[in-house]
Parts: sequence; structure tokens; C-alpha cells
Amino acid sequence: MSTPARDPGDLVAARQAHAVNARVHAGTLTEATAPVYEGLVTRGIAFAIDSAVINLVALVVSVSVGLALSVLDPSANAETLALAVGAFAYAVWSVGYFVVFWSTTGQTPGDRLLQIRVCRASDGDVLRPRKSLLRFGAMMLCALPLFAGFLPILVDNRRRGPHDRLAGSVVVSAPVEPRPGRA
Amino acid sequence: MEMKSPLGGLVAVATLPATLARGGARVTRRAIGDLAEASVNAMLESPRTEQIVDTVLASPLMERTLARALEGQLVEALSRDVVRYAVLERVAEAILEGDALESVLDRAGAADVPRRVTERMLADGVVERTVTRVLEGPELEQALTAALESPGMERLVIRVMESRLLDEAVERLLESEELWLLVREIAYSPEVTDALSHQGVGFADQVAGSVRARSRRADAWLERVARRALRRKAAGELPPGPPVDPA
Repeated sequence: MSTPARDPGDLVAARQAHAVNARVHAGTLTEATAPVYEGLVTRGIAFAIDSAVINLVALVVSVSVGLALSVLDPSANAETLALAVGAFAYAVWSVGYFVVFWSTTGQTPGDRLLQIRVCRASDGDVLRPRKSLLRFGAMMLCALPLFAGFLPILVDNRRRGPHDRLAGSVVVSAPVEPRPGRA
Repeated sequence: MEMKSPLGGLVAVATLPATLARGGARVTRRAIGDLAEASVNAMLESPRTEQIVDTVLASPLMERTLARALEGQLVEALSRDVVRYAVLERVAEAILEGDALESVLDRAGAADVPRRVTERMLADGVVERTVTRVLEGPELEQALTAALESPGMERLVIRVMESRLLDEAVERLLESEELWLLVREIAYSPEVTDALSHQGVGFADQVAGSVRARSRRADAWLERVARRALRRKAAGELPPGPPVDPA
């Protein structure tokens, strides 16, 4: 059987990723069981995708509601109330998005696209909702000082940030198995 | 009155025994012949004879005899004679000229022989082998090539293309509700939708794969820089991580 031709860029990336993994894991775990911890850039891109999804949905909803309210011509108080309700709904939607995905599949849509997964550091299972909530809160705190709170990921042995340590989570690679029958 | 010659009387007397002997012999031969014929008839009509013939035919002796005859020159000699005297041609002519063939065909039809033969051929894969042979063989291709390259085919195609019949057929086809139902069925069929979604997913996979590769390169570079800046060495002994659970 012939090996399918691969993009040279992919080969370089795979080699570098392998080198980083070898350095991160220091050869203590076998290749079959060793999880591949994901780094800051990959996780940042996944988070950006999730933020885009959240804001896109919020934008569509807020525009729809705004159009509906513009027809009704509400009073100033009603507008303030609508803004407050909207802000609350946005916060619930944002928190719920991450908490639900982390607690059910361990993957948000952005994580899925980047093939990474948030799981418990102890046994690899998905986080409990309370831990997910804690992780989200800590993540927001890490983002407050211009995202400087995430920098420990760069030097941590398991690429964990403060929010990971607090929630007892790690972010590992989760490659999708090719579906049967697909070329 | 004429007197007989004494010499003639003497001759007659002298030959009388021989004459008698010849007559006796003739009578005897005839009697023996009749007796033999009667014996043979009785023997042929006898049930014992039939039993004896059956016994002989069923005996190993008969098998050995037949085997030796077939092993010998008998078959070749028979074949030569069959060819020499045109036996097969004569038999075939007799069959074709007479009513035997028709009656045989009628009986075969009545006994459902064609259906049984067809079923047997289908069950034995004769039809498949024949079709495969025709499709794989050069004969069909040659015949098709000859037909397609013939001027007659060209003229026929031109006439069909120029005829009003084709225009009307296409017009009616486009106007028919059934065509659009068929198109809709095909467009919404699981195979087509699956193929289209696979195409879309394939492209998205390609983009995502490229993003993944670049992000991991960036991770490696960024961590190298960070570790160099902080003068940290490569990681040492690690605690065991969670088991990998590919999504």
C-alpha cells in the first residue's frame, strides 16, 4: 500500500508537536497512553471561535428583539429594563454555553473544531457542572489583566493555567476518528 | 404301343437308390430346419430365455466384455464406418424430414423442458458466464465499433437530431411533472445529500486541519520562547495524565 502524500507543512507541524510533546511529557508515559496536552494558541483559537458563536447568536437575538421593540415604541424605563434583561440573558447564555458543553461532552464547538477536549486531570472524565462553573469564573479572572493570567500555560508541564489548576482540569488532544465510508 | 428300352429300365433301377437317398436327404434337411426353427421360436418365447439374457446382461462378464470392446479398436472402427456411410447425416435427414422432430419438440414443450433447461442454466451460472464472455470478449466491441462507425449510423443520428420528434420529446419531457419529481427525488436522496455534506465537511476539515497544524506550531514556538526567557529547562518527571479518550 502506498502512503498518501502529506503536506510538508503538516509534516513540519507534526514533527514540532511531537518534539514539544516529548519535552512536555519527558518520556515518562508510553505513546499509547500519553495524553497530548494542548497549548495556549490552540486553546485561544478555540475560545475565539466559541466567542464568535456566542456573540453571533447574541447579535441575531438582540437585533430581532430590538426590531420588535422599535415597533412597539417602548418608554425609556422599558428600554432600560430590556437592556438589563438582555445583559442578564447574555451573561447566562455565555456561562451556560461553556458550562453545558464542558459538563456534557467536554468539547465546545470551537474545541471540537480544533480537536481538543477539557477533562478532569485525575481520570479524564468530563468536568462536573460546579467545576465547570468554577473554571469559567477563573478563566474570566485570568482574562481580566489583559489575558496575562493565561501565561502560566506556556511553562506548565501539563500546559495548565490557573483556571485549570483550580478546577482540576486539563485540555488534551481529542482527534476525531475518521467515519467509515468516507474517502 | 411303344416298348420301353431294357437299357433305360436298367438305368432307372440303378439310379433308384440315389434318387431315394436324395429325396430322403431333402426331407430330412427340411425336417431338421423346421425343427430348429421351432426350437429357436420356442426358446425366444420362453421366459427362461429372458431370465438367462437378463442374468448375462447383469453379470460382470458382460461389463468386462463391453469394457474390452470399448478399449479395443471397436470404437474407432465404428466411428470410421459411421462417418464413411454418412450415418449421422442420414439419421439427421430422417429426423428433420419426418414428424419425429416436431413430436419430440411438442413433447419437450409439454414436459416443460425449456423452463427447466433455462432454470438449470441460470442456476449453474451459464448465463452469467456467457454474458461475461460476451462483454469481455472483443466481439461485442468490434460489432459496436463497426455499427458506430458505419455511415448508416451517422445518417440515422443526424436524422434523429434534426427531426421534430426529438424537439417535441424534449419539450414534453421538460414539461412533465414526473421529470421534476424524479429530479427532486434524486436531489433529496440520501446518497446525493450525503455526498454534498461530505464535500462540505471535507472542505471544513481541510481548513480546520490547517488551523490546527499552524496553532500547534505556534504553541511550540511560543513555549520555546517563554522557557528560554524564563531560563526554564525541559519538564522532568510528570504525574500520570488522564487516559486518552478520543472524541
